[in-house]
Amino acid sequence: MENFSIRTENLKKEFGGVKALNGVSFDFSEGLLHGLIGSDGAGKTTTMRLLAGLLKPTAGAISCYSGGKRAAFSAMRPSLAYMPQQASLYPDLSVTEHLEFFRELYRLDAGVFARRSAELLGITRLEKFRERRAGQLSGGMYKKLGLMCALLQSPSVLLLDEPTNGVDPISRREFWELLYAQAARKILVIVSTAYMDEAERCARVHLLDAGTLLASGEPRAVLKAAGTGSFEEIFIKGAAK
Amino acid sequence: MIRFDIHRAAAVARKEVMHIMRDPFTLVLVLGLPVLLVVFFGFAIDFDVKNLKLAVYDRDNSRVSRQLAAVFESSGYFLPSGAVSPAGAITGLDADRFSAALLIEPGFGRDIGRGAAARAQFVADGADNSKAMAVLGYLPGISAAALRKFSGAAAADPVPLKSRYMYNPELNSRWFVIPGLAVIIIGLLSILMTALTVAREWENGSMELLLSTPLRPAEIIAGKIAPYVVLILGGVFFVNLAARFGFGVPFRGNLLLLLGGTVLYIVAALSQGIVISVVTRQQQLAMQLSMISGLLPSLLLSGFIFPIESMPVFFRYFTMLLSPRWFMETVRGITIRGAGAADLAVPLLALAGLSAVLLTAAFKKFKTDLEP
Repeated sequence: MENFSIRTENLKKEFGGVKALNGVSFDFSEGLLHGLIGSDGAGKTTTMRLLAGLLKPTAGAISCYSGGKRAAFSAMRPSLAYMPQQASLYPDLSVTEHLEFFRELYRLDAGVFARRSAELLGITRLEKFRERRAGQLSGGMYKKLGLMCALLQSPSVLLLDEPTNGVDPISRREFWELLYAQAARKILVIVSTAYMDEAERCARVHLLDAGTLLASGEPRAVLKAAGTGSFEEIFIKGAAK
Repeated sequence: MIRFDIHRAAAVARKEVMHIMRDPFTLVLVLGLPVLLVVFFGFAIDFDVKNLKLAVYDRDNSRVSRQLAAVFESSGYFLPSGAVSPAGAITGLDADRFSAALLIEPGFGRDIGRGAAARAQFVADGADNSKAMAVLGYLPGISAAALRKFSGAAAADPVPLKSRYMYNPELNSRWFVIPGLAVIIIGLLSILMTALTVAREWENGSMELLLSTPLRPAEIIAGKIAPYVVLILGGVFFVNLAARFGFGVPFRGNLLLLLGGTVLYIVAALSQGIVISVVTRQQQLAMQLSMISGLLPSLLLSGFIFPIESMPVFFRYFTMLLSPRWFMETVRGITIRGAGAADLAVPLLALAGLSAVLLTAAFKKFKTDLEP
C-alpha cells in the first residue's frame, strides 16, 4: 500500500462571487487521522470536494505526495475513497446490493470481496441488516453503510465529510472506533466535523472558520498555543477578531 | 483507468435494472403506456371526414334537385337537412350548426332536362381548413354520381384518368396515423426515461459518490442507456401487436430492418434525455424540458400530419435535424410500403448520424465534477 500525503497552498474557491475558501494552506501528512473542524459554512465540504477532485480550485494548488515524492492526482485517485456529507446511497437497494455494486465498480475479486465484506459487516455490526434497504436504515446505520462502501476497496486515502452529523452519541462513539481501526492501518484519513469534542480524537486538527484556517497541528499543541482549554474558545476568539 | 470498462458499465446497468424492478410504476409506464396511448389516440384521430351537417336550400324543389340532395346523403359524408332561406343556411354556418350549405337555384331541374348549364352553389366553412379541404375533395365524385343519376347512364369521363392508391388502396387514415403515433410516443418516453434517471442520481446525491469512484462517464452513460433500450423495445413490441391486430395496419417489410432503425432512434432519444438531465440536474426541470423538446417538434415537424414538402425552405432543412422525421419515414416505409434497406438508405443513415451526434453530446456534456 502506498502512503499518500496531501498539501494545499493558498487554496481559494469561489462560487459566483461567494468566497467559500479564502486562501488556505493545509498539510495533511501521511498515515494520520486528520480532523477538519469548523461550524456550518466554514468551508469543510468545499475542502473535501476539492481534495476528492470533484471541484477545481479558483486559485492555489493541491499537491499529492507518495512516499515523500510528488505524485499526480490521477495516481492517488484510484485508491481514494470519499464519503459525501449528504445522503448519497440508493434508498431502494439493500446493504448487500450496495456492497455488490461497489465491488463491481472497484473490480474486486470474489475472494477479496468475500473476506472484506464479512470483515466490514462484522465490525459495523450490520450483519443482521444485510437485506435491509438503505432507505429503511437508521441514521447511524446509514452512515456506517456509507463508510463500508468507501472502505470496501481498502483505500489509501479516506475522505469522510461529516460522517457523524446527526448520529446519536452511542453510534458516534462506535463510528470513531471504526475510524481508529482504519487509522491503525497507517492510511491518510481526513474527517470533517462540526462537533468540537471530536477534535481531541484526531491526531491532527485543522480549524477552519469562514474559509480561513485558524490553527492546525496536534490537538494539545493547538490548545496550548492558543492558551485556552477548549476548541470552542479558539473559534469564539477567531470570530471576535 | 482511461479506458472503458464493460464490467463497470454492466454494474451500472444491473443497478438500473434493480431500480426499475423495484419501481413497478416505471415498468408499467414503459411497457403499457405506449400501447395504451397509441390505441386511445389511434381511435380518436381519423382524417376521413364523415357525417358533415349540410344545409340544403332547395328553391327549385324539382325531382332532379331532390335527387341532387339525395346523392349528397347517399355518399355517406353528408347529413343534409333543409334550410328555409339562403340567409338561414349561412347563419347556420356562422353558428357552426352546419359545415357546408347547398343552395339550388330555381329552374335547376328544367335546365338539366334541357341539357343547359344548371346552377347550384356549394358553400363550405373555410374556418376549418382540414374539413373544408376534405369536403371539396368529395365534390367531383358526388357531381359525377349526380350526373350519372340525372342522365340515367354512365356519363363519359371528360378526361379518362384512372387513379389508384398504392399501398393503402382505401386510404385508410389509421394506417397513416398509428405508426406515426408510435414514433412520437416512443421517442418522448425514451427521452423522459434517461432524463429522469440521471437527474435522479443528482437529486439523490449518489452522483457525488459515483464521481468519486473509478467509474467513467462513458460507463455511466452506457449503463444507463442499455437497460432502457431493452425495456423500450418491449414497449415497441406491444405497440406493433396493437397496430397489427387491433387496427389491421399491415406489416410488409423486414422486421430486422425495423428493429435496427428502432434501436438507432431509441439511442438518439435516450442520449437526448441524458443531455437534458446533465444540464438540469433536477427531475422536475428535466421532465419539462423533455416534454417540450420531445413532443412539439416530433408532433409538428416530423411529417406525422403536416407534409414536410409543403413547409417553408428553412423548416424543410430544419426537420433534417430531428430524428423523429427520419424514423417516421423509416417506419411508414417499412410497414406500409415494404421498403428495403436500399430504399431507406437516406433516413437510416440520417438516424445513425443523429444518434451518433447526440450520444457524443451526452459524453461531452457529462460532468465529471460537481462544479455548478
